[in-house]
Order: sequence, then structure tokens, then C-alpha cells
Amino acid sequence: MIYSKVFTGLTLSILVFQKVHSLESLDTEINSYEYVTTQTEEDVTNSSIFGALNCATTTDSLSSTKAAEQKYVDFEEVLHKTDNHENIPGILTNYPVTYPYTEKMNLRPLPNNHLLISFIFDMSSEPFYPNKNALDSGQYSHYTVFPKIIKPLLELTSTRQFQLRFTRGYWDSETWGALPYNGFKSGGSGVELWATIEATSKETAYEKWKTLANYLSGHFCASINFIDNSKTSFPQYTFGSFFNGKEERIPLFDQKRENTDLYVLHASLANEPVCTENLTPLIKFLPARGKTGISSYLDGHKVFDSIWHSVSIDVDTFCEREDGQCQYKMEANVDMVIHVPNTLERFENPIPKPVAGDKLKCDLSKPYDIYECFPLSESTDTNFSLSQLFNKTIKGCNNFIKEPTTICVQTTNEWDITLKVIEDGQKDSFFGTPDNCFELVSSKEYDLIIDTHNSQNVTLIDEVPIYVSRSLTGYGQDHGGLRTLLRNPSETPVKIIFYESLPWFMRLYLSTLTVESTDPSINRDTIMESMYYSPAKDREKPAHIEFLLEIPPLTTVTFSYQFDKTLLQFAEYPPDANHGFEIEAAIITIVSPKLYQLRTSTLLLLLSTPDFSMPYNVIIITSTVMGLIFGVMFNLLVKRVVTLEEADKILVERSIKYKLLVLKQHVLRKIGLTS
Amino acid sequence: MATTLRLRKSVAVVFLALYIFIGIPLWYKLTNIYRATLPVEYIQTLHDAKFKEIHLTIPVFIKSDTYRFPDIHDAVQVQVNYLLRSKRQYVDWSLEIFPYNETLISTEYDSNRDNYHVVDLVLDEFIGYSLPYDSMVTTIYFNDESVASNDLPFFIAQILVEHTFQIEYNQWILKPGQTEPNQYNSVLDSEQFAINYTPNIHLSISLLNGNGNPVSWEIDKSLTKIFTPFRELISPLYNFTVDTQIDHFNDLNLNKLNQINNPTWHDLSHIIDLSELSSNNYFVEQNAINLVIVFPNKNNDLNGLKILHESNNNDSNSTITAAPVEWGSFVVPRWGILIVNKSSLEANSLITEEYLNPILLKFIKDLLSFLGIANNSNKGINADDKDFEYTSPYLVIDSLKRIRIIENLNKSIDTLWSLVKLTKQFEQMTVPKEVLQDLTDALDTRLELIDLLNNPSKGSDKDWNKGLIMSNQIVKNCERAFFHGEMLQQNFFPQEHKLAVYLPLLGPLTVVILSGLKAVFKEQHDNDENSKKEKDN
Repeated sequence: MIYSKVFTGLTLSILVFQKVHSLESLDTEINSYEYVTTQTEEDVTNSSIFGALNCATTTDSLSSTKAAEQKYVDFEEVLHKTDNHENIPGILTNYPVTYPYTEKMNLRPLPNNHLLISFIFDMSSEPFYPNKNALDSGQYSHYTVFPKIIKPLLELTSTRQFQLRFTRGYWDSETWGALPYNGFKSGGSGVELWATIEATSKETAYEKWKTLANYLSGHFCASINFIDNSKTSFPQYTFGSFFNGKEERIPLFDQKRENTDLYVLHASLANEPVCTENLTPLIKFLPARGKTGISSYLDGHKVFDSIWHSVSIDVDTFCEREDGQCQYKMEANVDMVIHVPNTLERFENPIPKPVAGDKLKCDLSKPYDIYECFPLSESTDTNFSLSQLFNKTIKGCNNFIKEPTTICVQTTNEWDITLKVIEDGQKDSFFGTPDNCFELVSSKEYDLIIDTHNSQNVTLIDEVPIYVSRSLTGYGQDHGGLRTLLRNPSETPVKIIFYESLPWFMRLYLSTLTVESTDPSINRDTIMESMYYSPAKDREKPAHIEFLLEIPPLTTVTFSYQFDKTLLQFAEYPPDANHGFEIEAAIITIVSPKLYQLRTSTLLLLLSTPDFSMPYNVIIITSTVMGLIFGVMFNLLVKRVVTLEEADKILVERSIKYKLLVLKQHVLRKIGLTS
Repeated sequence: MATTLRLRKSVAVVFLALYIFIGIPLWYKLTNIYRATLPVEYIQTLHDAKFKEIHLTIPVFIKSDTYRFPDIHDAVQVQVNYLLRSKRQYVDWSLEIFPYNETLISTEYDSNRDNYHVVDLVLDEFIGYSLPYDSMVTTIYFNDESVASNDLPFFIAQILVEHTFQIEYNQWILKPGQTEPNQYNSVLDSEQFAINYTPNIHLSISLLNGNGNPVSWEIDKSLTKIFTPFRELISPLYNFTVDTQIDHFNDLNLNKLNQINNPTWHDLSHIIDLSELSSNNYFVEQNAINLVIVFPNKNNDLNGLKILHESNNNDSNSTITAAPVEWGSFVVPRWGILIVNKSSLEANSLITEEYLNPILLKFIKDLLSFLGIANNSNKGINADDKDFEYTSPYLVIDSLKRIRIIENLNKSIDTLWSLVKLTKQFEQMTVPKEVLQDLTDALDTRLELIDLLNNPSKGSDKDWNKGLIMSNQIVKNCERAFFHGEMLQQNFFPQEHKLAVYLPLLGPLTVVILSGLKAVFKEQHDNDENSKKEKDN
């Protein structure tokens, strides 16, 4: 070990806190939230091993943050107590400012050398009163950290909530356990959007939804504008109010009009590619623009070079009941699972090449020589740093955030987690904490070093309440079937909401719904508590199914139904029609024993594709046939009709022999041999 | 045999006729695109004589408390008519002078503002006039001599035409040799700044901090104090939506200024990078004006920059207005105002009202030139007020309503004329029904508006507001018609394509009909020859 841990994080923070405390002759009440920028340079170097302390707030531990937050209530109070001075006339310094913004980074080693990295960004808008016309002379909108493009969009479309998900990759739930945030922050493969919109009718809700989708499409450079009425459904139970009673909280802004209600709309673009251009707009939404803090790690090359990744944006409205003041809150999450050895390999060898002979680790229990080698399974001895994974260090912290930037690693005692602070021109410092959580409080560069001898020893994975797989059955281009298998591995019954939206070109027969189970006593009526079905309308509406099911313990239930495949119109086929049609994932929301949401994989449906030159061929062949018929008919009408004798005579007259004879006679007549 | 030949001949000819006169037109019709019939001739007439049917009348009421002049309004009317008719007018306009009608004016009195133009005659020792700042009343002072010499009517007429309605007078009275007035904006030499007229405008006020420090500003207080009264004043003409933001790590690339040796304002205009700022903006309005207050990065203090210290009033060609002490102001034409501060902001700074108010006042002055109301010429701020030196802002706004109505009418007719030309030029372009509907709506509203303008009894504030709204609606309808998406989309389907697809049908039909016809006529020819030969023989 080339470094040693100097202090534990707790003592360290307390030290810093005390130093700040002694430097500032302020009331003790506000001390824990005093801004340390007022220290002179000298003080800073003397006081802190964290270097120039100018980030956010310094609290003794994360747990005390809440208590401190309560104390931090009145700017004015602090203002009077601090020594304000004006370097520039009209500009006061030492005025405590925080923005409603926090950022966190969580790391969690997963079995088989995988690592889950999560970024969490939280921000709120300035408070506002709804139903104010922006054109009124006294009406102004103010923005600090909340993205400026979101609020007008929410107002234009009367959206109270919207959730946008960009997810790709494979989450191995059997090895990695439950999805992060219990699955509520990840979507099906591709792009998924749902929103709660205030409107007077379904039609106006759809119009607003369309506007929302179009604008989000522009902002996030995604094909969200392809969401139309044939892809949009109105979920009944899965989203919104059904299981968390959110609807009561979401206010209706336009209460003057009757019939206003909240509508939940959902659509997804299955298997839509997710890439850098979708992440960049999100980085622009963050106040630091990826220049400092953990957002500097949001690099498209790294985020999308992973086994599984999910970018989620949740915007919500919160209103005070008393005075009607409202606030928009936005939570942005970026989660990714990387395979550490592969990522490190990419860092060391950007151009892939075979492992050199002397570095090859062979399985010694099997025969090996210079020509033959059975490679060993991956080493469990791991030592890497974040700068190796991301090709850069963390550039300081964001000093305008409410709480210090935290980086937490959730793992067992067999892992050594160390924070490295890179000091300019000095020896780097290293720190560790018992809970493996670190607060970044200076503008220096940071790195996190992760070391273990047994990478298989990770924190207990959360059990997934249910396993689901869905597949297409049948063959041929006329009809097919859909089969969904639900397996409850636990010993408690699981109550779920099954949501599926199928495109109109899958003509579903609900009468063919069959339920099979490992337990013969189970049939449709025993497990299905309720069912919602809204049939598809051609080109207008997808088929929308929602089941409320209860899966008994240790049971596998399969339900399947049949459908017919429709022939699409010529122009409805996409340019790569032979690729097939992506069918969006089904959403399974577990209501009990715990709230959890998961999605099945998307499906690829093959429809019969026409020969696209067919219309031209049809026109050409039809035209030729019509031309032939017309030619025959026209000739019958116009050509001369003659008797057989006349025809023979004409034929004789037309023969070459006859013509030669006539010519000969003519010549002879000219030279006077005949008369 | 000869009889069948004649019959066959006629059959061939009938087929050819059917083919040419019914077949081809039917095919053309069935494969053709939809083109709504636009009232081309009507639009052309409107375009040729845009304001022919307009006779704009503005009612003015004369009030005299001291003396009773029973016929003063008639006398003034004669004089006003003389003053206006003696000159060439761009738009036919006149003043209708009425005696003061207390019931009419008091009943329609609305929102602390006079509804009509009123001339208030006050007996005094000298002759003169004044236009109070806060009303639409023209106060005219007269003495007994002027009454005795009968100069008063001419005097009133002159003041009304040349002062109260000076904007209309300048705009609509054509100078010798002029066929069309200059655009209102260009009259005031600010066309390079001004944005096109739209009733709703978005204002985006940004505080850019080159560092990532937490800073705060008292913008709400400052806006409420300075900007709200301005918004109220200008609300009949323009409505604003205003947002403010604090943006970090963005100094519009100003740090590059330090790399240039002795930079000038021209260097600044090349260096500033507005792309990031614009991409973060969102508004539904057609136009936006920005006010950006930039504080540089602390490593790139601009304090040493000469351009921020210099007062640039001497530079007559520069677009820059006065530079106060702590900040310099720079106008980006048709985009907004850039306020460049010399020093960077420390962490936890509060920018107070005291600092922001002068910036906002400066912004309002520049804003007027962006809207084309005032002149932001190189003479500096003080020159702004010169044009309307003796005019009340209410009068300016009232006059501008009329100017905008006429400009909107002009613009809408131009748009319609372009639409008509476009449809004429591109024969293959579809003209959807919606275009016709929008066009009809616009023309109907136009007639309605002209009725309103021509009606001498309607001239209150409300009527002008109504007129302005109608004219905005006309412009909107015309532009929607012109920019209808389907018109250009369909334009890329070429005529040759259609012919190529149908050639397998048209080709054989043509060949068969023509060759059949030829054969029949040749047969007759052969017959004639044969019979001739037989005769010879």
C-alpha cells in the first residue's frame, strides 16, 4: 500500500467544522451553515486538509444535514449578522446563496466484477403561483437551476408530471437482483414517456400530449415525435394514482372550468437507439453543465459503453395546500452497469489486441503449453480507480448546491474504498470513511480508489419479487401468439398489475386467453382479480390490456393469447420493413409485498412484407393488358374485312414472286419486248 | 367495300377524338393534384391599389369652457381638410372634428385614459399649445386677438395635424418624388436593430456568471419597480412574457478578449458566442429580445479592457451606446443587449436593485429601438426623445396603433400576393382547402376592418385596439396560408414521373390508334391508286 488513511471521514469533517467554527465569529446557530468562502487564503491553507473550502456547506456528517437545514431558514437573518461589504457599488458579498439543487453518485459492486454506477441530480424551480397569465404586466418567471425550457413546456401543455426514460441493455436480475430504485427509474428497452396532463377531455389531453412529445423530441434529439395516437394509451392502474395515491396531491390548476381532470398517457418507442445526443441535452439541464462535480463524468462514450444503461428524467409538480404556491421538481438519474475488467482493458488498450503470451493466465488443472491454454476465470482480486474507468478525475465540487456532493459505495467490509484528493504541487492525500460515503467540499480534483481481494463478496442483492419472460409463438405470416411467463420465487403471494400495449396490426383475440400453471388448481378466475381491455382501432389506437393478478407462492403462471397479423398499407411500412416491427415491453408493477416495477424485453414481430415495386408492376401489367385488349378491339373495328378469295388474291399480290413478275413485265414493256 | 371503308374511317376518327378530347383530359384530371381556386384577380387588384378603399377617419372633439364657439368644429374641419388634401397621401386619412360631447366621452371612459382625442381650448394671454404627458388631450391656448382675427381654426388645425398627429403626418404624407413611405422603423434610422412587429414578444433576461459561484440578484424587485409600469404603458401595442435566469460557467467566450491586444467593440462582436444561451431558451412567441448581463470568469477579469472604460459617444459609427462605470453595454442587432461587467462576481454575491435599475432603464431605452418605436441612432440615448419631444407617450402609442394597422394590412396583402405568385409559378404545387379557408378568412376580416377604419363615428381607444387585433389576425391568417406545409411537400413529385408510370397504357393506345388511322387512310389512298391504274389499263 503506497498510501495510508489519515483520518476517518467523521473525525475529519468534525475537525473542519471546528476550524470553520473558530474562524467565523458568528452566532452558533448559523455556524453549521456558514459559508467558508469568507476565510482568507491563509486561513484556508492552515485550516483544512481538504484544501480551499468553498463548496456548499460543511456539516459534521450527512445525518446532521437535516437538522442544519431546518436552522437554515432565513436569508435575511444571516445577512444582518454577516459582515457585508461592497467591492463594487450595488453588489453585496457574503450574502448566503444556495440553489435548490443536489447531486449524488452511488457505486455498488455487483457479482462477477460488474459495477453499478448511479448519478442522481435533484433540482427545483423557483416557487410560482399557477394560473397567472405570463402576459400580465407584473408576471415574471425566474430561473436559477431548474432548466429554463421545461417550465414553459409544462405550462403550454398543462402537464403536471412527466417521466422520460432512455434505457438500453440487459439487466441480469437473476445475478444482480432488483433494479436500482426498485425499477421505478428505468424504462423498457428504447424510449418511454408517460405524463399526467390536465385537460377537459381525452382528445384535448392527447393534443397536449402530442405537443409535449414533439417538443421533448426536439430537446432530446430523440424520435419521440413518432409517438402518435396509434402508440398512445391511457393506462388505468399502472401509472399515476392507483397504488400511491398521487392524484390527490397533484393539483388541478384550471379549477374554473368544469370537467377538467388529470389524464395519464403513456407511449414507448421500443428498441429505439439511445446515444450521446440524448445525454448531452440532460447535461445542459444541469447547472454545472458537466464542467464540475460528478456531472463531469457524464461522458457519452463512457455511459453508453456499458452493459446496461438508463437515463431517466422525472418532472413533478408540488403545491402548498394553504397558499397555492407551486414548485416544479426535476430528478434526473443516470445509471449504468459496467464490466470492470472490460472497461479497464479498454483504458489500457484502446485498440483491442490479443493478450500477450506471458500475460495469459492458464488453468493449471488442464493441459497447457505455448500452443494450448484454457484461460482461468476472471480474477477476484481487483484494484481500480474511477479515473481509470472514466479517463478523468472529478473536477472539484459544485459550490452552489444545497448539500455537498456525495459519493457513496455500497459494499462489504472486504472492499477498501479510499478518496484521493489531488493537491497541486503537493503530495496527494487519501481518506476513508466507515460508511464509504464521501463529501466533496473543495474545488480540487478527486479520485476514488476501489480495492478488494474478493470481488465476489458484494452486499446482499435485493431479491426480485417476480421473474417474467415474454415471447412470441407460432409461425407463418398470418397469425401468431404471445406467451408470458410469470414466476414467483418467493414464499409469499405477489400481487401485480400487468400492463401491455400492443400495436393495432396485432389483431388480438382475447377469447383465446389461456392460463396455465405449475399448480393445476390455478385457472384464470382464481388468479385474475380484475381485467381492463381496450381493443385496438386500426391506425388509431393500440390494444391496451391491464390485468390485476395474484401469483401464489413458488408458482409459475403462464398466460397466452393468439393474434392475427395484418397487412399494412404500402406507405405504412418503415424503410427497413424486413427488419420486423418492434413490440414494446410489457410493464409489471408489483403492488405487494413491496412496490417494484419491471419490464419484459421487447419483441420483434415479423409481418409479411410486400415487394415494394409491386404498385408499379401492377400499373404496368394492367396497362399492358388494357393496351392489348384495346388493340384487338380497335383492329376489329377499323381493319378491312374481306372474303377468303379476296384475301388469297391480296396475299398473292403481296408475295415477292408476284412483285418480281410485275417488275419483269414492266421492264420488258419498257424495252419493248412485250406489248 | 367503299361503304365499310367510310364507316371504318369514321370509327378511327371517333376513337382518336375520344382519345384526345375525353381520354387525355380525364386521365390528367384523375391523376392531378388538388388545387383550390384562389381569388387571384381580387388579390391582384388589392395589391395594385392597396389602400384604395381605405379612408381612415380619426374623430377629434373640441372643447371650450370659456367661450362658446358654435361653428368652430366646422371651421377647423375646413382647415384640416385643406392641410391634408393639399398634399399627396399614402393612405387616405382625415380628421373628423366634432363639438365636445360629454355624454359620449364620459360613458365610454375606460381605465384612467381618455378614449378620444380632445382639443381643450383655454383662454390665455398668449397663443400656444401643450400635449400633457398623461392624456390624449391637446390643450390650445388662445387670446382674444386670435379670435378676432379668425386665426384660431387654422391654428388648431395646424397643431392637430403637425403635432398631435405628427406620426401619421410624417408617415402618410408623401414627400415629392416618393411613391411609398419608408418603413416606419427606417424613418427613425433604426432598421438595423428593429425586429418585425408581432403583438407578443418574449424577453429573456440572463445573468451569466463566468464562474460556478452561487450568486443572487434582486431582479424581481427591480423588474416590478422599473419594468412593470413600462409593460402597462405599452400593453396596447405589445405584450411581453419575461423570464430571468442565472447561468453559470458561461461568459459568452469573453475571456478571449484578454488574448487580443487592445480589443475593440468589433472584436467583441466577433468573439461572443451566443449559441449555448440560445439553445437553452424556450418561448412560444415569434420574437424574443435578450438582455444578458455577463460577469467574466475570475481568471479573466475584464477590468483592464479599454473598451469598457471609454465612453464611445465620440465614435459616431459605432452601435454602442453610452458606457457607464462598472459595465459596458453592447447592442446585438435583432438579438438584444449585452451588458459586460468589468469584474467577476465573488461567491455569495447579491446584485442589488441599485445595480440593476440603471441596467434595466438602459434596457428599456434600447428596447424601444428594438421595437421600432424610438430611434437608437448613434447620437446616443438623449436623441431618443427628440422625435417625440413634445408628444405624450399615450399619443405615440395611439398613433402607432394606426401605423401598425396599416402596416399589417400592407404586409398581409404582400403575403397574399406572394402566395398567388407562388401558386402560379409552380403548376404542380397542391393548394389545400385550408389555404383557401385562411385566405378567405383574412379577406373577410380585412373588409370588416376597413369598415371599422372608414367609420367616422368609431375612433375610440377601444376601436383602435380592436382594429389592431383584427389586423394581427389578418397577418396571422395570411402567414398560415403561405406557410402551409403541404404546399411545398407535394412539390417534389415531378410530372415526368407520372408520365413514366402511365406510359405502358398511353403508349400502346396512342400507337394503336394512330397506326390504325394511318392504315385506314392509306387504304383509301391505295384504292384510289388502284382504281386509277385500272382506268389507265
